[in-house]
Amino acid sequence: MAAAALCWALRAARQVLPSPCPRQVRSYYVDWRMLRDVKRRKMAYEYADERLRINAIRKNSILPSELQEVADKEIAALPRDSCPVRIRNRCVLTSRPRGVKRRWRLSRIVFRHFADHAQMSGVQRAMW
Amino acid sequence: KDKSAASKDSTPEEASKRQEDGAETPKQQLLDIIGNMKVEVTYRKKLQQLKASESKKQALNKLEGADSEGSVLQGTAEDTQRGKPLNPELVKAASAVASSLPRNKKQTESELLAQLRRHEETTDKQKKGGTINIRNIISEMTVKRQTPAQRSPRVSGRISLHLDEDGQRIRPERSSSQSIDSRRSLKVGKRLNIFTKASTEPEHALKTESSPTIWDLEFAKEVAAVTAQPPRNGFEEMIQWTKEGILWEFPIDNEVGMEDDAEFHEHIFLEKHLEGFPKEGPIRHFMELVICGLSKNPYLSVKQKVEHIEWFQKYFEEKKELLQEI
Repeated sequence: MAAAALCWALRAARQVLPSPCPRQVRSYYVDWRMLRDVKRRKMAYEYADERLRINAIRKNSILPSELQEVADKEIAALPRDSCPVRIRNRCVLTSRPRGVKRRWRLSRIVFRHFADHAQMSGVQRAMW
Repeated sequence: KDKSAASKDSTPEEASKRQEDGAETPKQQLLDIIGNMKVEVTYRKKLQQLKASESKKQALNKLEGADSEGSVLQGTAEDTQRGKPLNPELVKAASAVASSLPRNKKQTESELLAQLRRHEETTDKQKKGGTINIRNIISEMTVKRQTPAQRSPRVSGRISLHLDEDGQRIRPERSSSQSIDSRRSLKVGKRLNIFTKASTEPEHALKTESSPTIWDLEFAKEVAAVTAQPPRNGFEEMIQWTKEGILWEFPIDNEVGMEDDAEFHEHIFLEKHLEGFPKEGPIRHFMELVICGLSKNPYLSVKQKVEHIEWFQKYFEEKKELLQEI
């Protein structure tokens, strides 16, 4: 019985404890703009289903137009940060809004820095 | 395996011969045939093959029974490995054997059938039980006694709390009814419940979960910190990452985390969810298009699709007054 209790407690403890191997953990976002972008992404994820459904009613040639006007007003009444258009793909490390490569989520300067130090897997200087 | 192939080839011919030459010493011919039918397949292979082809179970059981009859009648000290012939002629062989014996034919046939049934039962039991029961029993039987120093890094599911880093024995301060001193104590380990019912187990489980004191947690944290050594090589690092969820498990399973147990017809035939809607009109038309789209969607689970339709139902019900005006 005590062994079972200890097993249970150990499992709980393991979840609480971080692993003993040191690893860099980022606890702050780079700047406030990045934080706002994160909030917008979360909201867009929450409201994605509703927006899809209301848009399905709007972009329709079958339903009566009065219904579509009502749907227009409804979607405009949703919070402004819930639309996916407001999301900006910023650089993950420097929060740079421009010059970001989508595959690595890094801005061109950071990408170049890591690639030159051979820390990007499979990336090589082009020469032909 | 060559022998078995040869025997399989020979038995159909000889079986047909046997049925033709019924008058000429049938018993001797039968005995010759059975002597030739040495289908030697190991028991392990048989288990594997049984697991692989479950559809042929019943046929195989009958054949095993028939073959064992043949070996019993033969009386030779062959290997105790049971044959697993795929020859359906052996079923005929069993009946022919019964008919050829000089005693009461019906009695022998019934005895043979009874033996067949018994063999079927044992093979079924072995298939279902199999090695798992043995493992349960052997799990408590430790052969070696290891030194305490060797035991400390070993943290299995059953934590052995015996040791400190100094090698001295620490006894847990919890209820003393558990004697975890020696490995061979009677009350330790998972109960096999061979002799008693498992009625007392849930009580114990409830007790443990209701009293995890802070001291327990602290002790657990200490033990975890001590035993979780940094990885010695790349493999252990990858193991740790897999446990934490950073690394996927290989071979890659595309359906990890996605447990959609619904059949295909629940995904495609969604008209039964359309009962709340009016039968005619633009709304019905619209919803039928929605359902057509959902049926072609492989990315949503059935639950999500149903929620989608229900949202539309709720929406249109709210707008009912508006719709009446139109």
